[in-house]
Amino acid sequence: MIVKFQLHPLLISLSRIVSILLLLVLLGLLTRPIEAPAWKAVKAGQSEMNLEAFEGALGQGLIIGVLGGFRAILADFLWIRTNIIWERKDRAKLDSMVRLVTTLDPRPDFFWINGSRMIAYDVPNWRIREEGGYSDVSDERQQAIDLEQSAQAFDLIDQALNFHPNNAKLYLEKAQIYLNRLKDDANAAKWFLKASQQEDAPYFAGRIHAELLRKQGLDAEAYDFLKNLHIELPNIPSAQKGIILERILNLEKTLEIPPHERFMPSKEPLVN
Amino acid sequence: MNITDSFTRIRLIAGTTFLEAVRQKFFNSLLLISIALVASSTFFQQFDFGTGELKFITDFGFGALFFFGSILSITATTQLFFNEMENRTALTMLAKPVYKLEFLTGKFLGAHLLMLCFTLVITVVLSGILYWREMVLLERLGNELLSNGSLIRYGDVFLFGFLQWMKFGIIAAFVLFVASFSNTNLYTIVVSFFMLIICQLQYIARDTYSGMEAGWERILVLGLGLIFPNFQLFNIGDQLVFDVEKAPAVSTVFQITGYGAFYSIAFVLLAQVNFRRREI
Repeated sequence: MIVKFQLHPLLISLSRIVSILLLLVLLGLLTRPIEAPAWKAVKAGQSEMNLEAFEGALGQGLIIGVLGGFRAILADFLWIRTNIIWERKDRAKLDSMVRLVTTLDPRPDFFWINGSRMIAYDVPNWRIREEGGYSDVSDERQQAIDLEQSAQAFDLIDQALNFHPNNAKLYLEKAQIYLNRLKDDANAAKWFLKASQQEDAPYFAGRIHAELLRKQGLDAEAYDFLKNLHIELPNIPSAQKGIILERILNLEKTLEIPPHERFMPSKEPLVN
Repeated sequence: MNITDSFTRIRLIAGTTFLEAVRQKFFNSLLLISIALVASSTFFQQFDFGTGELKFITDFGFGALFFFGSILSITATTQLFFNEMENRTALTMLAKPVYKLEFLTGKFLGAHLLMLCFTLVITVVLSGILYWREMVLLERLGNELLSNGSLIRYGDVFLFGFLQWMKFGIIAAFVLFVASFSNTNLYTIVVSFFMLIICQLQYIARDTYSGMEAGWERILVLGLGLIFPNFQLFNIGDQLVFDVEKAPAVSTVFQITGYGAFYSIAFVLLAQVNFRRREI
């Protein structure tokens, strides 16, 4: 007598599902040799999106943007919303919106730079006013707020540098925050120097670096830097080589450089 | 089974499916909306911050292609499949010497041909708008930019369109796979949309958990990465059109194409595994 085992329909369905899943895993493994090198090449040229940022975007109902299409336009509309929040001085929302916009579209430096400006310059003012205004809040507290907000802005700029490692504007932004908000000449000088070393750096970055060195009493360093700068810069009006030469001459007087050791600029006439 | 006859049957089913699809109101209205949206990209440009005009229009066009293409691929394939079931034409067809695999392949090719039309129209419209704006820009900026040749690599616009079409192929194939075991139109559309989202976003989970220590969560994510195809692979719009240096290597394009073709075929075959057992 032959006994026929009949499986429960649920078990049959389950076994089908499992076998299909296993087939799909096998497919994934088979395509891995094609996918892995292609993905490596594609990923290198794509703006990254992490799980945290993605969760934030989902909360804003931006699934379409996150999926790949319309990321740029959604980021633009969100930036307009960020500005409305900025006008309302809602600092908690402002921070999350800036991060969301830069996550959605990290390509334009506009969002990073303006976002960091809002965080470093505007938010400290709001916080100080919230706590009673500039006359009532102690200098130490004001400084603490400035430091806190600047740290957040630096964090944002550091993230931006991951996407735009050679963008001089971002280095300049950090330098400006150190200089204008934190009154930290040493760090500002450091970041102006970094900005001046980028390919698209404006000519003034190097000049400001030298001025800040001079301000800190580092005249010899400023002198050496300006001499090199004068040699490196092209002879065009925007490079302002005349001003640099003037500063070199002033420093030579201050440092009492003997005449035979003084800087000799090239003979071609300066264009001012 | 004569292979030539089989190809003829597949061609006939694909042709009929395609004709039926282009006559659908849904296809025509979605195509019109997409064209209107791409054409209006210059209007939306006034909301743009920081990116160049041509880059914005390109992003916008690529976004429209991806978004509406995905919707069309899912809904059209579902409709084309279930129309045959509901009208009982599938029954008549399969009663003749037409194999179920031929039926599925024909349906897939018909839907894929429809997506080719959609992709071509959108890329041609996008290229036209880009050309118009490029001419306006060149006229405004004079000879300054002319010496560097064209600002846009139009071949890249079509290359992006081609890769998206390959992706739509996978979508159409997995829609057929879902439809092969599903009983309703709605169920197929909803499940397919969820699958699309997972496929599009699985790379985020993969990247996040790749650095994790070995554990069941890591295994789960690895499994997820293997089960669902990586659609982000087709999203190379950022590397195309403007920057020659950024452009992906030809080998990468071939790998992506191969990946798309492989998954499309595999999903059609998987659909056949389910459809074979299905009573119509």
